[in-house]
Amino acid sequence: MDWSAARIFGMKNLTIAMRYPSNWIIWAFMPILWFAPFILMATAIAGPSSTHFTELSGFSDYIQFCVIGWFVYMFLDNSIWAIGNNFRWEQFSGTLEPLFSTPVPRISILLGAAFSDTALCIIQSSVLLSISMVMFGVTYSLTAILPTIIILTVMVIALYGFSFMVAGLILVFKDPSVLTELVSNATYVVSPVQYPIQTLPSGVRFLAYLIPTTIGIITVREIAITGVFDLVTFVQVLLGLAVLGLLFWALGIASFRYAEKWTKSRGHMGGF
Amino acid sequence: MWERDGWRAELRAANALAIKQWQVELSYPLSILWFIVMPFLWFIPMLLAGTAVTGSAESSALEGLIGSGDWISYIAIGSAYSGLAISLIWGSGFTLRREQNVGTLETLMTTPMSKNTLVWGSTIHNIQHGGLGVVLQLGASVLLFGVNLNLWGVFPALGVIALSIIGMQGLVLIVVCTVILAKQGWMILEMLSSTLFLVAPMSYPIAVLPIYLQYVSVASPLTWSVEAFRGFLMEGLAFSGVINAIIALIILDVIFIILGVVLFRRTERYVRGKGALSQF
Repeated sequence: MDWSAARIFGMKNLTIAMRYPSNWIIWAFMPILWFAPFILMATAIAGPSSTHFTELSGFSDYIQFCVIGWFVYMFLDNSIWAIGNNFRWEQFSGTLEPLFSTPVPRISILLGAAFSDTALCIIQSSVLLSISMVMFGVTYSLTAILPTIIILTVMVIALYGFSFMVAGLILVFKDPSVLTELVSNATYVVSPVQYPIQTLPSGVRFLAYLIPTTIGIITVREIAITGVFDLVTFVQVLLGLAVLGLLFWALGIASFRYAEKWTKSRGHMGGF
Repeated sequence: MWERDGWRAELRAANALAIKQWQVELSYPLSILWFIVMPFLWFIPMLLAGTAVTGSAESSALEGLIGSGDWISYIAIGSAYSGLAISLIWGSGFTLRREQNVGTLETLMTTPMSKNTLVWGSTIHNIQHGGLGVVLQLGASVLLFGVNLNLWGVFPALGVIALSIIGMQGLVLIVVCTVILAKQGWMILEMLSSTLFLVAPMSYPIAVLPIYLQYVSVASPLTWSVEAFRGFLMEGLAFSGVINAIIALIILDVIFIILGVVLFRRTERYVRGKGALSQF
């Protein structure tokens, strides 16, 4: 692992991102246009409040429920679209093959990309949360800030493994849009962003818990809305995320290495 | 002997472009999987969210707004139509950019076909693509989710689609102008399409929108297309809003197609004049 190379790669990505600020600033506002239809739909079919929703989820305010869900979900979305697609962007720029011919461990390049994209995602999701709180008039407990930061940190590290897997798939399949859309939408469907996890069929619920953001969303939501912090549950959540992180890192690195070897042996590295 | 000009020749050219696009799409197996799975991945979150807030298949709140409490059919039909609209706006909107990416834009621009035909060819492909998606999604919705469709409304609904394509094509041409000017126009298109879909009654009646957004909504051809399409499929020939929807759709079709064609001609001439057609 070459931390210096990871830092330089990350700084390179951030420098390019700062040259095109609208590219990433817009993603702080865009999700509002995506989750607003769910809020409007809920208002249309359930009215201003829903006892069924309260009984199912334990929360009374659907908008408050959705906004915090999207805040956490942005990190999963980022890990798929930004981190996972990093090598595709290098390929478009014509720098993928030179990059892969350097004596730098691939994990360093992947982590460098992950660090820069995470930095941007933190800004985007914070702006999204702030604007949504003002626009929809929702509030969250201030005591949730520190536990949220800790959970998000562990969750993001776990998600890096997931991104490595997506990066490997894209090296093989090339066309990022279709595959990324499929992965992104499939994970979105099973994530409790717009609905409580109890709404999912039990078999699908098990799959949902395999994605680190599910645990992140449920825990952050609970703490942020109720303001109640339980140390035992918190530690269990961190352990769960750590186990998922180890699993995804192992799978992610293995599948990326396999994808790289497969692509190189077919001479597809720079191909479209 | 084939003629090189006239509407028949343009139609042949558009058809050839549509076939070409199908051949390219079908050579990526993932595209086929995407085509089958994606409509469900868009609809299922709405279904789950709706189930979470209502707890049943009927909604008294929706019945108070539109006269029917069958929210699942309401959302399923709106969602199916949105698949077609997305296919048209994104698929056709990026026609010229796609040709530019593969290096064939200038070659196509030097052929004796009309420049509009390039976009129409893509539209024909996307109507077929989106249309198949509508059939697939509605069929599965009926079989799996208990959606109710009024069979007497199927042909009128198809007529609404045919009518709405004119206005949608106008929108598509405006999108094409944005893309050829901005090059990396996906961000602008994402904002534009997300806003269009936000104000369109895909999964909620426009009555729940803030008043200023309702004005934007009634000025969009998408709104009247969805209302009429769903109205016929839910109520059949007894759909009460048919006259308003059809008149509004015709008026907006004329406005948007004229606007789209004029803007496209001017933009294409401007970009060619700057020698920027093949620039990235």
